[in-house]
Amino acid sequence: MQFGGKTWLPPSPAEALEQGIAMVHQHFSLVPRMTVVENLMLGQARGVLNRAAFAARISDIADRFGFVLDPNAVVGELSVGERQRAEIVKCLMRDPQLLVLDEPTAVLPPSEIGALLDICRRVADSGRAVILVTHKLAEIAKVADKVAVLRTGRLVAQADMATADMGALVQAMVGREVKPLDVALDDSEDSAVAPPNQPGFALVCDGLTVLDRHGATRLDNFTLEVRPGEIVGLAGVEGNGQSELGMVLAGLLAPTEGRYFIGDVELTHAGAAAVTAAGGGIVPEDRHAVACVTAMSVAENMYLNKLDRFTRFGLLQRRALNEAALVQMKEFDVRAAGPDVAFSGLSGGNQQKAVLGRELTLDPLVALVAAQPTRGLDVSAVEAVYRQIRAAARRGVGVLLISSELDELIAVADRIAVLYRGRLVGERPAEMNERGAIGALMSGQGAI
Amino acid sequence: MTVLALKMPDRRRLMALSIPFAAVVGSMAIGLLLIAISGKSVPDAIEAFIDGAFGTAFAVGASINRAVALALIGLGFILAARANLTNVGGEGQIAVGGIAATAFALWQPVADLPLGLAVIVPLLAGTLAGAVWGGIAGVMKVRFGTNEVISTLLLGFVALLMVYWCVQSTALLRQPQTSSSTLPESLPIPDATKLPGLTGDPESPLHIGLVLCLLLALATAVVLQRSTFGLRLRAIGLNELAARRAGMPGSLLLVVALGIAGGFGGLTGAIMLQGEQFYLKAGFSSGYGFDGLVVGLLSRGSTLGVLAGALFFGFLRSGGISMEIMAGVPAALTLVIQGLIVIAVAGSVILVEKLEAEQR
Amino acid sequence: MEETLAIFIASTLRLAMPLMLAASGELVSERAGVLNLSLEGMMLTAAFFGALGSWATGNPFLGVGCAVLAAVALSAVQAWLSVNLRANQLVVGIGFNILALGATTLLYRIIFGGLSREEIPGLPKLSVPGLSDLPFAGTAFFQQSVIVYFGFGLILLIWWMLNQTSFGLAVRAVGDEPRSADKAGIPVARTRWLAVLITGAMAGMAGAFISIADIHTFTENMTNGAGYLALAAVIFGGWNVGRTIAACLLFGAATALQFQLPAMGIHVPTAFLLMLPYLLALLAVAGVVGRLDPPTALTLPFQRGK
Repeated sequence: MQFGGKTWLPPSPAEALEQGIAMVHQHFSLVPRMTVVENLMLGQARGVLNRAAFAARISDIADRFGFVLDPNAVVGELSVGERQRAEIVKCLMRDPQLLVLDEPTAVLPPSEIGALLDICRRVADSGRAVILVTHKLAEIAKVADKVAVLRTGRLVAQADMATADMGALVQAMVGREVKPLDVALDDSEDSAVAPPNQPGFALVCDGLTVLDRHGATRLDNFTLEVRPGEIVGLAGVEGNGQSELGMVLAGLLAPTEGRYFIGDVELTHAGAAAVTAAGGGIVPEDRHAVACVTAMSVAENMYLNKLDRFTRFGLLQRRALNEAALVQMKEFDVRAAGPDVAFSGLSGGNQQKAVLGRELTLDPLVALVAAQPTRGLDVSAVEAVYRQIRAAARRGVGVLLISSELDELIAVADRIAVLYRGRLVGERPAEMNERGAIGALMSGQGAI
Repeated sequence: MTVLALKMPDRRRLMALSIPFAAVVGSMAIGLLLIAISGKSVPDAIEAFIDGAFGTAFAVGASINRAVALALIGLGFILAARANLTNVGGEGQIAVGGIAATAFALWQPVADLPLGLAVIVPLLAGTLAGAVWGGIAGVMKVRFGTNEVISTLLLGFVALLMVYWCVQSTALLRQPQTSSSTLPESLPIPDATKLPGLTGDPESPLHIGLVLCLLLALATAVVLQRSTFGLRLRAIGLNELAARRAGMPGSLLLVVALGIAGGFGGLTGAIMLQGEQFYLKAGFSSGYGFDGLVVGLLSRGSTLGVLAGALFFGFLRSGGISMEIMAGVPAALTLVIQGLIVIAVAGSVILVEKLEAEQR
Repeated sequence: MEETLAIFIASTLRLAMPLMLAASGELVSERAGVLNLSLEGMMLTAAFFGALGSWATGNPFLGVGCAVLAAVALSAVQAWLSVNLRANQLVVGIGFNILALGATTLLYRIIFGGLSREEIPGLPKLSVPGLSDLPFAGTAFFQQSVIVYFGFGLILLIWWMLNQTSFGLAVRAVGDEPRSADKAGIPVARTRWLAVLITGAMAGMAGAFISIADIHTFTENMTNGAGYLALAAVIFGGWNVGRTIAACLLFGAATALQFQLPAMGIHVPTAFLLMLPYLLALLAVAGVVGRLDPPTALTLPFQRGK
């Protein structure tokens, strides 16, 4: 790495800071119960605290870069944007040569994005270099001097903003390569040729809205219908409301507004058990936190929601459970030493196949919601997961597939809706030549 | 017996058991050292200890009765612990159990009930009172997110003072005040409500509480090892979100788990009252709740472990009292040993985890 | 009537003092994320070693020194177990309380033998010159043991330390967000260690107050739950110095009332007054008196990168 005219590779974050590289991470390291000035003094001040002097320094920096930040406000009561400014001040106090911001706008409501971009501009104007890491081209167009596009760890495009061709940048971001996955899926007997058009709906989201603890809108009037036998892809960069939607559909989070149905059954406030009973299969995005108990056995996990089936006089029929699990393991190709080994001993792919198996064997099964189902899996597991999902759709199950992997969505889904900042911003057919348009929607083009 | 066995590979089970064992041996050695330092005769003390713990039918009976109380508290503790709940309110649950059992036993219609109901009704009343006391902590947890350690502890102190209140006020359970020297105690409960003896030997205080305790130990083992309910408790304790996703009623399970633990405590209080003490007085629970908690902790979730630990501490207590009377060694020595064991076991948890991790 | 009130205030202060000392010390630990259920044991140990030191040297001030040393030693073991060995803080605390009760009783029997309730050299009462003769305030405030005035100084010092020094800032940070504190270069383990030692020292003062300043002897289990009461005060005080001290005074007043009310011809069950602190703390943890917000990392051990 070349920095300040010398070749140098920072051995540690502390060293980098020492040399004048400061970074604002996506996850803030602030103590919510303390005030802004106390947070900035932490590890900096010695002995008796002189809050006034420090507060003056903060106000000074805030003034210089043209924003307002009350040094005596308690961090926990600040908006996300204000907290972010506190983090930026923390960096600027070290008088860095290079300021790196990692996805700073992902956490901000639209109203605060402009202010942040202004701050970036002013920092740059003060003679410092700024690197802004973001998924959103519109922001780059607004503030950057130069742009570089990274995809799967490689630099795929680079341009001066003044002369850059936006269309080319979008293409570079989304990519054109055909992955082996596409081939594998397209070879299967019926790729999404004729989207089945059965009457009724498998899954209906009607105006779902979720506000978080701070009152920020995470999911905004989300309305979507999935027909039986249809696979609807929900594309979007992570952090745009997918997690909240997943929690609502799983019955673990009551929406602030709106309604949610599976088949004809309303499940808005019904809870997880009712979702299962109504035939809603859920493959959550955070497998370890929501889908399984890793310290329990494979069999126990595969029947976690159907334990009653193996209960007689309150006692668990362990042999029957293990036998049933063995059959299901075979059916869904879950590879493990046996049904009674710990779930934590399985590979990610086998864990996911087990979870999928559990949810796909619900009776009845009306709709399947799978969120980021292939994350962290190897190619063969990815294929297996999608083969199962498509087989389910062929049996008439409505599938909502939430993923940030656009290529996979295009290969598997019938149509693709795009989620941006908690809102549906558009819908496209799942076709190769739509990739650019979908990518543009995902990155907020035309939405900001 | 396979029902009672922990489901763990043998070597790891051995390892898990060896730590408390080492702690017990080490603490006993320190105890002997303390006796020697204090200038008392060690052999005399040991003889007095053995005599007091096992010497007579009375001694054995009293020790086992102690062990029954400790085991019941310990069983309740490990049931709640299966749902990752720490019930430190055993002392208070014993107290409310004792109050309820006294109130019912002293109520004439109950004492007149036929078919052993005179014994059973106070036992049930005590159990129910304890269950409510534990359940309150459960409700506080699911409604307000109150840590059950803090709530059960505070509820414990409230309960202890409720006993004090009950025996101070004639409007509650205090015996009629005939003179200024009338003790602040309840009336003795009628004979019909006392637990029947087990041996027929009038010398032995051993009562049917032992049978009840063994039955409940068996039931606990079955629940923990074999029942769907036990599996659900385990799931909720390991990963509450995943358990709720799988349709389990998370809040209800937590309240029920603490309610059961409290119920064991309440039953213990009733058994202590109807089996041995026969009247209510302040300080009635006499530390059994905390001792039982220790037994539960040391067992590491095993029913057999609870029974073994309860027997150990039951005999330790009895022997300690005898040491004080016969060899002049203060019974507080047993507390020292007990405290050292708890600290050693708690401190070695990381060591055990490391050993287990290395084996994998 | 005025005399009764003055005596009531004086006895409230006297009864609240050990609670205030112990609770303000415990507050430092808890703000740093370590819960010492062993507070009761620390106080009892200090009460014993304070009495022993005072008896052996004939100097009550040396006795206070012994008390503080003993409690700090105990807190060092607690710190090692909860910070370094990441042991369950509650279990360790319960173990310490059992051990302290056993060990102090045992040592008391061995050392003092049959001579129970022997009077030890106690700390003098200090009548503040000029102020102690004031008609009302004199009786109420200025005829207390020296340790009371010193104790108030210590409590102020703790408040100042928590709010006005970089160490206090570090304590609050490691109790809430140890990871952020670690990133800011704060030594998490060392900060927690120091906080627990401070708790030990304050619990030592509290124990010394009970045996040396107040009762002038040692009796078995003489703290009788004062440590738990101090823990309840910290909870009821919402982990805030001022409110915790107010809670201690309230608890002290409730205890003082059980002696005052009968004298005034009012009959409230003693048990109810004794129960009041725990009931209030229960209501507080249930969120009835406003939402309580314990330090986020309370009882959670810290391990970098986990």
